[in-house]
Amino acid sequence: MDRKEGGRKIPSRESGEFEIFVDSDWAQMGKVNNAILDYLTSHELSDELANRYTMVACELTENGIKYGSFEMDGDFVRVRIRLDGGSISVEVTNPVGEDTRAYLSELDQTIQWIRGFQDPFEAYIERMRAISREPLEIDRSGLGLVRITYEGRSALDFFVEEDSTLSVSAVSELNR
Amino acid sequence: MDAAESYVNDQLKIDLIENEETYTVRFLGKSFLRDPNQFVLPILSKALEDTIAGAKRMVIDFRDLAYMNSSTLTPVIKILERARVGTGEITVAYKKSLKWQDISFSALIIFQTPDHRIEIAGMD
Repeated sequence: MDRKEGGRKIPSRESGEFEIFVDSDWAQMGKVNNAILDYLTSHELSDELANRYTMVACELTENGIKYGSFEMDGDFVRVRIRLDGGSISVEVTNPVGEDTRAYLSELDQTIQWIRGFQDPFEAYIERMRAISREPLEIDRSGLGLVRITYEGRSALDFFVEEDSTLSVSAVSELNR
Repeated sequence: MDAAESYVNDQLKIDLIENEETYTVRFLGKSFLRDPNQFVLPILSKALEDTIAGAKRMVIDFRDLAYMNSSTLTPVIKILERARVGTGEITVAYKKSLKWQDISFSALIIFQTPDHRIEIAGMD
C-alpha cells in the first residue's frame, strides 16, 4: 500500500494508487500538477505518458474546482490515480449542488457528443473550429474533455452518487 | 535576442521580442490560467495589431512551454482565426520532439493558409 504523509499518499513501486485532495483555490493547480507528474514519473512512466496523464488529471481537477459546490467545511476535490498493470484510471470526485445541474447536463451531452466520433481527433478539430467562431469575450473553451479523449487517449465516464458527489473518470491502456 | 517586455502570471512567463522582421510572443513555463482572456488574449491581440501595423510576422513560440491547460489554447485559436480571415501573418512554433506539443499544436494546422500567411511549424 502507499503510505500517507502530510495528507498525501507517497507511492511505492508495488502499489499503483495515488490520492490527493484539493480545495477550491485555483492557485493550487501548479502544486497539483507537480505532485501528479512526480507520482507518475516515480512509477517509471515515460516522460510522454507521465505528461499525458498529468494533463488528464489536471483538466479533470480544473473542472472539479470550476463546477464543484464547496459550501461545507471539508468539501474538496479528490483526485485518485490507479495504475493497474497495463492500464491507468484517473478519477476526480467533487460535491455538486443545485447550481451545478446545468453543468451536469452539459457534461453528459459533451461525453455523448465525443462518443459520436470514431476518432477523437475529429471531435478535437470540430471543437477548435467552434471556438474560433465564438466572440473573443467568451472565455469558456469546452476543450478540456475533448483533449482528454484525443491527446489523453482516455475513455471518459461519470456518475452522480446519492450524496450529490460527482465522479468523472478517464481510463486508458498504457500501451496506447 | 533579449525580451523587450515580459509578463508573468503564476508559473507562466510571456516574453515579447521584436526585431525588424518579426514580433515574437514566447511562452515559457507552465500555464494553469483560469481566465486566459484576462492575461493571454490582450497580449496576443495587441501583438497582432502591432505586427499588422508594422508589416511584420508574428511568431507565437511555445517551444519553452512545459505545460498548458486547455483554457490557454482558446485565445490562441481565436487570434489565429482572426488573422486567417484578416491580414495578419502568424507562425506558431512548437517543439516537435515533445509529444504533447506535437499532438496539441499540430492540430492547429486547420488554420494554416495555402500561402503560408498563417503557418504551423513543428521544430526541433
